[in-house]
Amino acid sequence: MEEKRLKNWQKMTPVGRIFHSLGIFILKRKMGQLFALFFRTIASLFASNHNFRNDSRNIILQTFFTGIEIFPPLFTVATLFGTVTIIEVISLTGKMGMSDFVGNLMVVALIRELGPILTAFLIAGRTGSSLTTYIGGMVINSEVDALATMGINPIRYLVMPSVIGGTIATIIMNIIFSSSAIGAGFLVTKGIIFITGNAPNVQITWSYLSAEILKALTLPDFVFAIVKPLVFGIIITTNACYQALNIQRDIRQVPKATSRSVITSFLYVVLADVVLSAFYLISYMQNLSMMI
Amino acid sequence: MLDEALRLEDVYLSTSELSGTPFSVPRAVNYFENIKASQNNEDRPLIAGANLTLKLGETICIGGPSGKGKSAILRLIAGLARPLKGHIYYFGEYIPAERLTALEVAKRQVGYVLQNAALISNLRVIDNIALPLRYHRVGTEAEIQKKVNMAMDLMRVRNFATMFPHQLSVGMQKRVAIARSWAMDPKLLLMDEPTAGLDNYNRRNLLPLIDNMRTMFKTSIIIVTHDLMIAKELDCNLVFLNDKKLTEPHSFDYWLHSDNEISKDQFRDLQANSNYF
Repeated sequence: MEEKRLKNWQKMTPVGRIFHSLGIFILKRKMGQLFALFFRTIASLFASNHNFRNDSRNIILQTFFTGIEIFPPLFTVATLFGTVTIIEVISLTGKMGMSDFVGNLMVVALIRELGPILTAFLIAGRTGSSLTTYIGGMVINSEVDALATMGINPIRYLVMPSVIGGTIATIIMNIIFSSSAIGAGFLVTKGIIFITGNAPNVQITWSYLSAEILKALTLPDFVFAIVKPLVFGIIITTNACYQALNIQRDIRQVPKATSRSVITSFLYVVLADVVLSAFYLISYMQNLSMMI
Repeated sequence: MLDEALRLEDVYLSTSELSGTPFSVPRAVNYFENIKASQNNEDRPLIAGANLTLKLGETICIGGPSGKGKSAILRLIAGLARPLKGHIYYFGEYIPAERLTALEVAKRQVGYVLQNAALISNLRVIDNIALPLRYHRVGTEAEIQKKVNMAMDLMRVRNFATMFPHQLSVGMQKRVAIARSWAMDPKLLLMDEPTAGLDNYNRRNLLPLIDNMRTMFKTSIIIVTHDLMIAKELDCNLVFLNDKKLTEPHSFDYWLHSDNEISKDQFRDLQANSNYF
């Protein structure tokens, strides 16, 4: 009987065989499995027995879990980072006589690049790792198996709320990061100037800073403030769930998978950032030629 | 065929399938990889050529020495492990190996009580029992509540409804797990060591419940156990896992009084004072 089935499988048309081997080739790769997991997550939203109330409750819970847990470190990092950037940028541009570019530099440094990246890193370190340990622990205790035998799709019950909630939280946190980096960063800069008697030799007012930044903001900045954390959030949460569900029944695999999830999330986030930044390449070039 | 709850035909299971079910990987990949692996190298199968037929409403006990793959057979039937070869029919319907997943099997109302009860640890007992009902939306909230209360009353865990699984003892967790499976109205129930960790009193309470389930709801039950007295008390057939195969089903008394290898191993102490029975 087995031989017969094998033959049936091998009895495909040449075109079918090409597609089959291509599909297996892609799905055997880690990247292919990650994409497959993401698409299965999206597909599970539209499963036949979807329960909107339960789902939205799980998603909101996950959003709050991600957002509230990450807020204190994120706010601290954003404020201190914003302070450093403001002081560096203002003093540097003052020295080099390029005060016109204060806003541009701030937007590029804080809003375009480092805001989303640092938010993604913090979320990968906090939420990604906790997701991996949480789902990994469930895998070890065979709770995921129990869910599946009860007819509950683990991807729908565990992965889908994490991915959607985590992504929403990443978007919100990115906006909070950017605004608190500029707003709270400005306040801390003022405080430093007040305490040290203007030791950094920085002349700055809120009207000047905000006007410069608003002048430098363009429409793509607003779009990418949503698109970048969206992509990063999907990458981090999907990767965390993928690493967790991949754990074989061995307790030592949980810490390994956790560190792997965080490190690979960093890598993928930076790679995705490079790909997304290709859009800005043209405007960077223009800015460079203007500067030169 | 139509009056069968389950039929295993010449099933092979490799040990590599037991390392867990990776839900992150599409199952088709595993399937084709498995075929390739089984062609390439000589895999030592855990189960080789097992046959089993279970009639609707029938109860069967699977016994045998530990470490021979009794629980693996239940994992196989529940769809958590995939057979290398062979055919599995659920209620007369054949599911090919490439589509055999736990979700697919669960759609056919097959319940599974795991060896470690595997309750969801961040949910209270009441939510654990209600979880599959709410997920599948089997009724309104009031109906679900009624059903959950009934299940909790049956298994005597009503007093612990608002406790978390880690606050319960192992035996109590097992009772909650059985209640969770019962609430789903399974047509075929797989139980892995239901009486392990239960005291004599609760064991004697559990057995009539199993008896009720098969008489009232016509549930077919497979019990994997070391406690062979269950077979006598439930008056059901016993199957042993021997030499990577399942033996023919026979009654408890047949095994007790026959003088083959398995009976000598498993019933030695019972045979010694068999005049007691």
